[in-house]
Amino acid sequence: MELHILEHSLKVASIEKEGIQICTHGLIKLAFLASKTRCKFFSLTETPEDYTIIVDEEGFKELPQSEHISVADATWLALNVVPGGGNASNSQPIGVTKIAKSVIAPLADHNISVFMLSTYQTDFILVRERDLPMVMHTLSSEFTLLRVVNGETVAVHDLGVTNGFVKPKLAPRPVIHPLSSPSNMFCVTSLDPDTLPSVATLLMDVMFYSGGLKEAGASSEDSSHIRFFSFSLIEGYISLVMDEQTTQRFPNNVLFTSASGELWKMVRIGGQPLGFDECGIVAQISEPLATADIPAYYISTFKFDHALVPEENIQSVIGALRTKSTAE
Amino acid sequence: IMSGSKPDILWSPHHPDRYVICDSELGLYRIGPTGGSETKAGALPLSEETAATLLAINSDTPYMKCVAWYPKHEPECLLAVGQANGRVVLTSLGQSHNTACKELVGKEFVPKHARQCNTLAWNPVDSNLLAAGLDKHRADFSVLIWDISSKFSPEASVASEKIRLSSVDLDSSTVVTKPLYELGQNDACLSLCWLLRDPKLLLAGMHRNLAIFDLRNTSQKTFVNTKAVQGVTVDPHVHDRVASFFEGQVAIWDLRKFEKPVLTLTEQPKPLTKVAWCPTRNGLLATLTRDSNIIRLYDMQHTPTPIGDETEPTIIERSVQPCESQIGSFAWHPSSQNRMVVVSAANRVMTDFTVFERISLAWSSTTSLMWACGRHLYDCSEDGAEGAIEKDIATKMRQRAQSRYGHDTVQVWRNHLLAGGKDSQLKSSHMKQCAEDMELKLQGNKQAVVYSGIKNIVKTSSGTTESRRCWSGSDRQSDVPRYHSEERCLALRLCGWISRGPDIDVEIFLRSLEHEREWERAAAVALFNLDIRRAIQILNKGATADKGDLNLNVVAMALSGYTDEKSSLWREMCSSLRLQLKNPYLCVMFAFLTSETGAYDGVLFESSVAVRDRVAFACMFLSDAQLPRYIDKLTNEMKEAGNLEGILLTGLTKDGVDLMESYVDRTGDVQTASFCMLKGSPGDVLKDPRVQCWIENYRNLLDAWRFWHKRAEFDIHRGKLDPSSKPLAQVFVSCNFCGKSISYSCSAMPHQGRGFSQYGVSGSPTKSKVTSCPGCRKPLPRCALCLMNMGTPVSNCPVTGKSEEKVDLTRENKLAQFNNWFTWCHNCRHGGHAGHMLSWFRDHTECPVSACTCKCMQLDTTGNLVPSDSS
Repeated sequence: MELHILEHSLKVASIEKEGIQICTHGLIKLAFLASKTRCKFFSLTETPEDYTIIVDEEGFKELPQSEHISVADATWLALNVVPGGGNASNSQPIGVTKIAKSVIAPLADHNISVFMLSTYQTDFILVRERDLPMVMHTLSSEFTLLRVVNGETVAVHDLGVTNGFVKPKLAPRPVIHPLSSPSNMFCVTSLDPDTLPSVATLLMDVMFYSGGLKEAGASSEDSSHIRFFSFSLIEGYISLVMDEQTTQRFPNNVLFTSASGELWKMVRIGGQPLGFDECGIVAQISEPLATADIPAYYISTFKFDHALVPEENIQSVIGALRTKSTAE
Repeated sequence: IMSGSKPDILWSPHHPDRYVICDSELGLYRIGPTGGSETKAGALPLSEETAATLLAINSDTPYMKCVAWYPKHEPECLLAVGQANGRVVLTSLGQSHNTACKELVGKEFVPKHARQCNTLAWNPVDSNLLAAGLDKHRADFSVLIWDISSKFSPEASVASEKIRLSSVDLDSSTVVTKPLYELGQNDACLSLCWLLRDPKLLLAGMHRNLAIFDLRNTSQKTFVNTKAVQGVTVDPHVHDRVASFFEGQVAIWDLRKFEKPVLTLTEQPKPLTKVAWCPTRNGLLATLTRDSNIIRLYDMQHTPTPIGDETEPTIIERSVQPCESQIGSFAWHPSSQNRMVVVSAANRVMTDFTVFERISLAWSSTTSLMWACGRHLYDCSEDGAEGAIEKDIATKMRQRAQSRYGHDTVQVWRNHLLAGGKDSQLKSSHMKQCAEDMELKLQGNKQAVVYSGIKNIVKTSSGTTESRRCWSGSDRQSDVPRYHSEERCLALRLCGWISRGPDIDVEIFLRSLEHEREWERAAAVALFNLDIRRAIQILNKGATADKGDLNLNVVAMALSGYTDEKSSLWREMCSSLRLQLKNPYLCVMFAFLTSETGAYDGVLFESSVAVRDRVAFACMFLSDAQLPRYIDKLTNEMKEAGNLEGILLTGLTKDGVDLMESYVDRTGDVQTASFCMLKGSPGDVLKDPRVQCWIENYRNLLDAWRFWHKRAEFDIHRGKLDPSSKPLAQVFVSCNFCGKSISYSCSAMPHQGRGFSQYGVSGSPTKSKVTSCPGCRKPLPRCALCLMNMGTPVSNCPVTGKSEEKVDLTRENKLAQFNNWFTWCHNCRHGGHAGHMLSWFRDHTECPVSACTCKCMQLDTTGNLVPSDSS
């Protein structure tokens, strides 16, 4: 297995809902007019609380400074697990589940805080730049470490610095944050970048104007319905996460759908905003899923984490996680 | 409707007149000649000669991202279309009655997770295999290889894959969801091509690496990390050579050394859109960038294979502009040489274009000129104008070399005859050498002076005496002063007027001139020696001789009336009428008789008179003050004109090299220059770079004419005259047993005190000596053909510098008979007698040793050439 350390230097920011209008100019440019910026990594996730933006330094310049925007003080690096060299085709569990034991658990053991972003194409594990030596040290035994420099991958080696690194505590990880499972079902999808202009106004509507309207209508009939939408444009690839109702608004054949038409349900983690310093949250969720061999997407936002699991598995997942939190 | 679709062109793999343009739809065109009866209203002109007719349009497949044409003959117009959602659809253009085709058209191959299909590639051998390269999906593969003959089996797959086909896929009998191979998990595939060296190998441009997948073992892949992952394409002529690109840069790869590109082409400012090897010409790559109206061509024909060669090979880069508008795409014609069709970026304007080949041109070593263009070779030789060819110095030199010009080293003076005897300059320069040779033999110690030329000789002149002699056969005292000195005498001798001894006796010279029927010249020489009667006698002889000129009698008559009266009518008439005489010697005779004492410009500057005669005249009648000035002036004149006669003045000194330089500049005759300079020049003149350059050029010329024997003779000759030019021995034959060189060892080995006769081999001492090592007396290797032990008598002969001269020629020839020489192949090390090897390889290319498969003769690039001069 290969672990690619991507070259993007990322910022994680939160835009308050009421402050979104001052940012739309920059956000539209980043999402729909990629050729006008030098940004290569952009992700926007709308939750009931806020908009979470993950963007590289070039893209960050497009956002204004405002009291409505809070930025996590660290610079983050994205890691990407690639099957790599020799082995190719043995089918493995999908997504976060696949890397739960090999990446997420060891990082949690070493007290390294991670921030997850799953997309249609792949999973990005964000770590703080300052934690990189520790990350490399932790993962060098399991992975071939490669760093992307100017678009080309070059081998890097663990610096061999073990001095001062704390020994991992291999304690069991109970689920400590409250979980909730909204009622709506989600699609993880993508579209051809060439067709993006044809659905740009629709996407702008969904991103910036549908929230209030939907909430007013939906909350009355179903209180557990959640407003959640994610758009990312990373190295030219578009990824979208939206609920089933929202997909109905798109024309036929624009959104990529899997042949199996799979739908996902959400597990939302956290009662209070989680912050950036606590470690092991992703591990707490992903390890039981890996044990049960259930595929999942995992999207961290500024305040909470979100896992997506196949709709038919949601009950067993909730069950397993609840058991885990109460068992300890 | 497809947005932002860029057009592409595909030539039919089997119909050389059909191609498909794909942009938002597929259009099938037929290309044909313009004009004639076939011209239809809808024909679109593609070039001055060709036009295209639209045969069919297919707009059934929206969201088209890439297209690939089925490679087999039947069905002939089957196309695979890769769509934006990753589905691959089979479609066709025009009507087909082929049932196989009907079954296939409309068939869809659907990936588990939708994402763009970037590229398609049919397997060139197993045409049921269609490889599709898709974008990345976190839980899916990016290279899917579909079997187009596979049948859909919904029951089997539904259970495991929980297929929920959308409403579009109602006719599920045409949908295939299970690929034959799935490769490249959690990766993106941007370009694909099957390798021609093995159709089980698939080269894929993946996200940040190039990978080779082997269908026989899909769990393994060979890969190299690189950015250049777009447009992978294998060279149809060199199956290990692959091109790929990234943005503006093309990388060329050698699959045998896949770690890094063997070369990268100069980066273009705009991103590339297409890179294609020319199918009709080896090593020609065409590239196109965005928003450009030119196609850039890279000629890699002479690129050496990269194995063990770290230097970047040379490539010739050039651009062609097929049309005015910006180019959307292009495609090489599969069989028509260097031809392509180009489609514009907008409005589907097409152009038929043939890349004109670079022309390479070469003069032959004889008189013809050749040039090559594409696959044509043109030979240009002058027709009819034989005279012009004959005048050409290259032809002359070749003929002269053939007639052994310069090779007569014993009788040097004969060389001008070998050259054809027509060139007076050559004659004089050889006469001069002849004279010098005589001088050399007579008075070896004066060599330095002799070779330095008359110019230097007269400079050193001292002790000149003046005399006033009587006219021969007359008592009258001449008022013409004549000068004498040892140096002047030597100069006269060099001019050929007098032979040896202290007497100034020109009679021998006069007789030889008479013999050669040079009456006028003889008369003039006689007159300059103040023998007016002899002059008259010579003229009479000339007039009465067979085919003689009767006018000479008239001249004799005029001469007999000579008077030294200053104001006589004779003098007046002669000085004006002499200019009308056509023969320069007759003219100068009267000039001499009518000129004032010491003012002989009429004689001295008569350029039609041979230089040596004028110089001899000057040596007789010019004072010590006048003579050097005249000689200097004449020398400079000769140098400027490059007149070889001037060698008499300059000698073979630095001055002589200057003169020869202007001669070579004027004529290009490096042959004469080489021989002249070699023959008489002292060492430091030979070392002059100009001289070395002439000699080397002449040797190259001889080689180019394949006059190898002549060249060898020349080298031998040169080695004798200039020992420093002899190359050192480069090859030594050593004994297999004792490891010592088998040549020259008899005398060099001190321990071998006793002769062979003591060991009872005295019966045939030469024979046993020859075939055994002189050091250890073990036998030498056997000839692969006659199986006799090898050895040549000469190899045992102690040859030192001094004894060489003593070895008499016939013996030397016998000893070193070429047929007995050692020869061997540098590759397989087998060999034998030169004669045997020669006759073997006349009929064979392979080594004569039975187990050896070495193609010795093919390894020897010059081995199959024959010399064009017979030895």
